Parts: sequence; structure tokens; C-alpha cells
Amino acid sequence: MLERADGGGRRVLEAAHHLLAAAGLEVGEIDRIVVGLGPGGFTGLRIGIATALALGQALSVPVEGASTLEALALGIADAGAGHPAPILAPATDARRREVFAAAYRVVPGGLEEVLAPAAWHPPDLAGALAGVGAAQGAAVLVAGDGARLPGLDHPGLSVLAPGSPAQRVRAVNLVRRVAQAGPRPVAPAYLRLPDAEENRLRRLTATGATP
Amino acid sequence: MITGPVLAIETSCDETAAAVVEGRVVRSSVVASQADLHAPYGGVVPEVAARHHIGTVNAVVDRALAEAGLRLADTAAVAVTRRPGLIGALLVGVATAKALAYAARKPLLMVDHLHGHVCASWLAPLALDPPFVSLIASGGHTRLDLVRDWRAPEPLGQTLDDAAGEAIDKGARLLGLPYPGGPALERLARDGDRDAFTFPVGLAGRPPGLDFSYAGVKTALLYRVRELGEAGTAERRADLAASYQEAVVRPLADRLMRAAERTGVTAVAIGGGVAANGRLRELVRAAAEARGLRVAIPDRALCTDNAAMIGAAAHFADPVPWPDYLALDAMATAPPGGIAA
Ligand SMILES: [Zn+2]
Repeated sequence: MLERADGGGRRVLEAAHHLLAAAGLEVGEIDRIVVGLGPGGFTGLRIGIATALALGQALSVPVEGASTLEALALGIADAGAGHPAPILAPATDARRREVFAAAYRVVPGGLEEVLAPAAWHPPDLAGALAGVGAAQGAAVLVAGDGARLPGLDHPGLSVLAPGSPAQRVRAVNLVRRVAQAGPRPVAPAYLRLPDAEENRLRRLTATGATP
Repeated sequence: MITGPVLAIETSCDETAAAVVEGRVVRSSVVASQADLHAPYGGVVPEVAARHHIGTVNAVVDRALAEAGLRLADTAAVAVTRRPGLIGALLVGVATAKALAYAARKPLLMVDHLHGHVCASWLAPLALDPPFVSLIASGGHTRLDLVRDWRAPEPLGQTLDDAAGEAIDKGARLLGLPYPGGPALERLARDGDRDAFTFPVGLAGRPPGLDFSYAGVKTALLYRVRELGEAGTAERRADLAASYQEAVVRPLADRLMRAAERTGVTAVAIGGGVAANGRLRELVRAAAEARGLRVAIPDRALCTDNAAMIGAAAHFADPVPWPDYLALDAMATAPPGGIAA
């Protein structure tokens, strides 16, 4: 299990090596690998996933995926004392003034998705979350490094104070999430098309062609 | 120098490739091309390339090992292209190679992609030995190097603007050919007259040197296509293709010969995607034979991007012992000047 290392994922293998050394383990003793699938920065996701897949390939051990937003939600739920919010909305900074976010109802033994992961403009997300909260008659707590982006203030939402350790994805929660809900197939959760594809689809729509 | 089989990985652009190379022998070489994926965009899209590498590289590695009849544990080292190229694409290969080497407790060899193209001629059956002049021509690079030592090719000349492969792709597009343009242009040119049109060959009017220039030739084609109009262009497409291809590849062969003359070497070699062009291969072979030079022209599959050439260049790279490579990184660009081993 690895906590976040600096450098957009480029130091992940180095961090894994130090972690194994600290735990007194050899790399050959690993018998299962869990990797965060995102959403997140494309390059960082790919480095993490490529590293996990290659370790699994070389060691002949299974590689299991977990949603980064779900792991974040578990961490927020743990830290949620004082926030009686049955609906948790993890939100990470997606750059371009957007957030990657989803919403989950905390249920015994896990999470139930009430808003699917997507890249959002913060005001649109605030509106959608307020709608979910109203429909379920529940308070909604937004947390994560995307929660500080402007545009998320909305009367129906509360925002977890910045600086809380729960604002960061913890690798242990990726493992917990796999234990709760089973592994996801290992592929990056980009939630966005490549820019070139967006542009191509836009051009096709503009000219009335079908993609 | 590493002895024993090397697993090599190449993901610098739009081919996902892995190979096993033992000494000068290619035991396996697997290339998964993404060309079809990039066709709708008319060129390689870096993010699309990176997304495809990650879904493909592990299976390509498995196939390369299986075709060589080896397990990862049987290899002596893992080699990977670290630069230059599309950074997102390179990073998938580097992360994969590092993790494979780390888990298998093997040394890692970091290779320069251009050095790989040069070293394709080191492989059997060509098994070239220095000294010789190397021409590398691809979509991103066009250069001549004097190779007296495999580890340190010495730059002689390079393109001052576009790469030869870029000129071919742009010309193909002007003639309405689908991406990738190189093979389509070559096929069309077969039915055409290469003397039908004259296009300015780069650096005309300057003293004969060893540099290249391709910015003018595509502009000349554009003007000629406009002059001919749609119907005229359609009618003369094959002639245009043949004349244009000649204008791109002839300076490559000419300057390669000039470089051999100036350096006094008795052998020449070609590499890179443009070296798969049949007309260039024909010109280089004929010119070299006329001058009594030995000529190394790798198989087409070893000219276009592949991992066997990375396994070849790996023999001239310094092995980084386990686990000293964990923090090593990919780089989009090579250091200025030469091709580093
Ligand atoms: Zn290349």
C-alpha cells in the first residue's frame, strides 16, 4: 500500500521499493496488487497502472483496480465525525477549472453510488449534488482537493474544511474498497476524451455528419 | 556489455513494440501498430497513442517472450526507449520496463530511440561494423552521422526544418492520400513518371553540404496542385507522387554518398521509417554499389519503429544495476547534438 508520492506518479516504483524495505519484505513476496484507477491526471494514472500491471505480470500475481473517488469517499466517511452527512461527494481537482466528482450514500459495509463519476464545472456539480440531496432528504458533504474550487458554494451543501487528512486518497482505502465491492478491471478512468477526439466530434457535429 | 537475452520495449510514438535480442540475433520482435487509430485525425495524436500503449504493452511483451521461448526470469536485462518521443507514450514503456526489471531483479538499459535506428544495422544478418556513415530518416528526424564507435555516433548533418518523413506525409495529404501517407505515396508513385515534374531540392544555391531542408518542397507541391486544379491534379496524381517522392528521397541518397566520400569510409547504412521506402532503398543500393561501398539496408520491419533495434542499442548502453533505476525517467527530447548511447 502506497500513499501519494510527489512527481505526478513518476516516483511510484521508488516509493513502493522503500515501502517494501520498511515492511521488511522482498518484492517477490507480494501476492496481490491493488491500484487506483482514477479519475486523475492522465499521465499519473498511466504510470501507476503501467507499474502495477508490469509488477503483476513479472510476479504472476493478480492486479486489482479500485476507484480513486470511492477510496476517497471511504476516507471522508472515516473522518466524518461532526458531519452527519449520509451523502459524500468526493471531488478532486481536474484542472481546467473542473473537478472529477461523484456522490455516494454511506451504507452498512460500503458505498452506494448516487451520482456517477464525471468531470464537472463546479456550479453544475453544486446544482446536481443539491438535487441529489433534496431528492434523498439528506445532507451532502463535499470533500477532496477539488472542494476548494470556486463555484461549489450552495445552500444545500457543506464542504469539508481544507487541510483534513481525509482530503487525500489513501492507498489503504483502495484495498478496503476492493474488499467491499470486488476488484474493477484494470484500466484508467479518464472520464474525458482526448482533446483531439473532442475536437473531431465537435467538427463532425458542426457539419451534421455522424461520427 | 550485457550478454544473454535482452527484453526490449519501445513505445515512443504510435507503435507498441517488444523484442528479445541475444547478441546480434533477434529472437523475437513484435510490433502492434496503432496507425488505424490515428487515421481519423490525419496524424499521430499523443494522448491517443499513450492510451493505446497502456492497453497493449503487457500483451506485446508476453508475445515477444513466448516467441523467443523464454520467461522474463531467463532474460539478462530489460531495455527501454527513454527518449526522444511523445512523453506520455514514452512514460508507459519506461514505467513498464522499470517495474518488470524491478520485479525480476534484472538490470535496466535506457536507450535513445535514434541510437536504436542506427544500431539496426548491427543486428544479424547485416552485422555491420564501423566505420560507416549512417543516414536516419523518419517522421521526426533526418540526419547523417559518422559511426566510428557504436557508442558515440558523430553528427555530420541534419535537417534544418522539416524531417523527410514529415515532407512525405504532408505531400501525401496534399494528394488526398489516407494516413499514414508513406506507403500510400510509394504505391501511387509506382505508376508515375518521376521526371514529370521538378520540385526544388532543399538548399539549392548553397554550397553542397550535409544538411537537409524540406520546407520548400511541400510548398512547391502545393503550388503545383493549385496550378493544375482539381481535375488536372486527379489526372496527374501518379506523376506528382513519383516526382515528389523523388525530390524527397534523392537528396537523402546523394548526401549519404557525399558524406561517405568526405569521411573516407567504405560502408554506409540507412534506418528510420523513410528507409522502408523502396525508391530510397533502390537509390542507396545503386549509388553505393557504383562507388564500391558496402551498404547495410535493414529489413523494412527493422527500419520502421520496432523494439529489436532498441535491444541492439542496449548492447552499447551502460546497464543500471537493480534497483538503482527506480527514479530514472523518460524525456521528450534528446540532449542537443549527437545521439547518446
Ligand atoms: Zn523512429
